[in-house]
Amino acid sequence: MSELLVRNAYVIDPLSGIKGDIMDIAIRDGKIVEEVGRNAEVIDADHCLTLPGGIDSHSHVCGTKVNFGRYMSPEDMRAGRTARKGVMHVTSGYSVPTTFGNSYRYSTMGYTTVLEGAMAPLEARHTHEEFTATPHQDMLANTLFDGNWSIMEAVRDRDVNRAAAVVAWTLSAVKGFAIKLTNPGGTEAWGFGEDVHSIRDQVPHFGVTPGEMIETMIRANEILNLPHSVHLHCNCLGVPGNYQTTLDTIDLVPDLNAKRQSLYLTHLQFHSYGGSTWRDISSKSEDIARAVNNKSQLAIDMGQIMFGRTTTMTADGPMEFKLYMLHHNKWSNHDVELETGSGIIPVYYSRKSLVNCVMWAIGLELALLVKDPWQCMLSTDNPNGAPFVKYPEIIALLMSRRFREREMALLDPRTGHYAPLPAIDRELDWYEIAVMTRAAQAKALGISGIGKGHLAPGAEADVAIYPLKPGLLDPSTDYQQVMAGFGKTRYTIKRGRVVARDGDIIVEGANSTIWTKANVPPEYNLSADPEFVKKFEQYYTVRMSNYPVQDLYLPRGVRITTEAAL
Amino acid sequence: MRVILQTKPRKNPHIPIEAEAVIPQNFLRKNDIRVYEGNKERKLEEIFYITTEGPAVSPDQVEIVLAGETGTLKRVGEYMNAGRIVVEGDIGMHCGNFMSAGEIIIRGNADAWLGREMRGGMIRCEGNAGHYCAAGYRGEKRGMRGGTVEVMGNSGDFTAEYLCGGEVRIHGDCGDLTGVEMRGGTLIIGGNCHRPCGNMTGGTCMIFGNADAMLPTFRSNGIEEREYEGQRFQMMVFRGDVANRGKGTLLIRKK
Repeated sequence: MSELLVRNAYVIDPLSGIKGDIMDIAIRDGKIVEEVGRNAEVIDADHCLTLPGGIDSHSHVCGTKVNFGRYMSPEDMRAGRTARKGVMHVTSGYSVPTTFGNSYRYSTMGYTTVLEGAMAPLEARHTHEEFTATPHQDMLANTLFDGNWSIMEAVRDRDVNRAAAVVAWTLSAVKGFAIKLTNPGGTEAWGFGEDVHSIRDQVPHFGVTPGEMIETMIRANEILNLPHSVHLHCNCLGVPGNYQTTLDTIDLVPDLNAKRQSLYLTHLQFHSYGGSTWRDISSKSEDIARAVNNKSQLAIDMGQIMFGRTTTMTADGPMEFKLYMLHHNKWSNHDVELETGSGIIPVYYSRKSLVNCVMWAIGLELALLVKDPWQCMLSTDNPNGAPFVKYPEIIALLMSRRFREREMALLDPRTGHYAPLPAIDRELDWYEIAVMTRAAQAKALGISGIGKGHLAPGAEADVAIYPLKPGLLDPSTDYQQVMAGFGKTRYTIKRGRVVARDGDIIVEGANSTIWTKANVPPEYNLSADPEFVKKFEQYYTVRMSNYPVQDLYLPRGVRITTEAAL
Repeated sequence: MRVILQTKPRKNPHIPIEAEAVIPQNFLRKNDIRVYEGNKERKLEEIFYITTEGPAVSPDQVEIVLAGETGTLKRVGEYMNAGRIVVEGDIGMHCGNFMSAGEIIIRGNADAWLGREMRGGMIRCEGNAGHYCAAGYRGEKRGMRGGTVEVMGNSGDFTAEYLCGGEVRIHGDCGDLTGVEMRGGTLIIGGNCHRPCGNMTGGTCMIFGNADAMLPTFRSNGIEEREYEGQRFQMMVFRGDVANRGKGTLLIRKK
């Protein structure tokens, strides 16, 4: 039995309704408890800001495409090198670091749970192997269904139950967590050299539209009672004028779940562009934020970009090709049979580029204009907008108008003409930041029930203690301190153990992987469905019996079981 | 100030020494300088006999002389920003990485990656240079950005790969794929070379010997008379690399 007591902590725990009380946190055997014995180890938090462990609800840190980003960017591997030190492995890389690099840097920032934004089902084994090498964070994997042929056939036949059955079989086969749609239909169209340009375009050769796919998947998701909603990367990412597609998508969303959103729109910054060409690109964050404010069944994340070098990687193959045509640098393009695809290119976001400046402004505008912080989460779509190590800087920008003005002064002077950011006064407070970095994620992902994102007795003992004293600090002027504080915790506690202290990693760590299994009635079990089996044997290069990921790949798997309403 | 570093006899003289700390600005402050021998950290005095002559108030006044078995010293002059390094013999790989100012004189031969991704300053090698002389490193799209590299002898393959600025002068012959991916700067080759300037997008390359296996993707632009070091030469002018919409200039002396 190991016991730990955190004394005198300034706790903000939005899910438990605690908005800044000085209190003690008792931990026994990796769980939060009411009280511990007198022999417990004591940490004096000294009135420092103490939050539940951070949760990143959309990040690309593990899997084949991240790894491809690593080997196509040897120059990135030269940055961010740290030597072996105690239990710490050697790390390298800045925008696509080694798995241990990712894990240590997240841990230093107080993050204890990370969702991998896109896992191709066929390549799930590799993702799970990298999860085990990301030892300080509990991992979840969004599973790609955007170009899944069985799904598209079910959508064409208007058979929601069949779509639900395909999702249930695939998620449990590949140990995935939730449904991810990346440019639904578009990536598969790209397999034929084409793309879709709105949610009403027909996907060539399949006779479905992205809109139909999104609607069907939202309903299938609710039939399966999955913890998370559909996680959508809208069509037309990064195309000037794409805000209309985003608004059309938002119009489709029914309100089907009382506990959480019905649709999670990821990296919405990339989907809020007005104008018609790169020359007249403008911010439509106000329209998008208004639509989000009016629909409580939506949750979004920012997808903020930050200036500097990074690597973009997404399952949205056609978009990466368009970016390649702009940059003429390295480019990778990948097809996953019958399922999805991907593309990767390195980019440099520059303060001298008006387009990049407007993109930078849009991300912040979304976070500031969406009224309810539970609906808008902080993210950079790591590493697409910026590596996640930039989160502290984004927090400081959101908390300080002065910092934003100082940054604006360095940008292209026309930025204010194309984006409303200079007119926004709002400065977020500590509570709102706590919501945007952990509580809202726990709610949106539906994992607060298994003890994530809060500090009530029974919860997982994931705690981050930052060297910030909210009473003595005015974030609107002391933004440098805010940035430094969120960048390096005094203590990061993972499952009851201190894993990082003042930026040093002190334990090896052992994470768990959270996945979902929806129990379906026997007639919807596809492993016995002759048509599905036949298709598998006919088209896949892998035998159906070899397809599922063995339990061996998840040494510490945590299964969430749901009952499907089929 | 003149610092003479004479190598001490070593038990195994083939183990390379990572000597990125051997740069003039480090000797000014007389702080504890350490190098790696293989994977073992060593104090400078364990590897060298050190003799210091005269004072210095700025790194410009520091001259380092390396003598003895210097061929195993790697990364000498990395991030150097002032002063002078004289190598009495050969020098190992990565000499003058990222250097931004000052000068390096090598009396013997240089191994691979001489002056890689250099920003400024001057390197003169009186012997031959290895592969990737004045080149960029793996994955990096901009190699040497400024300064001068002069090699009196020959150089190996991939000379001035990703050259982006500055001037590279090779008095002897170059190896294969000389000036490949060049995007700026000047490359001057006194002798012969093989397959020059593939995928070049900018900059100028002058070849006074033969260009073997010339790539077909260069557009001929006639013959021009050019002056170089006081002499006038008839040069064949090529523009390219057309395969990459390049606007580089390749000049080859007409025989």
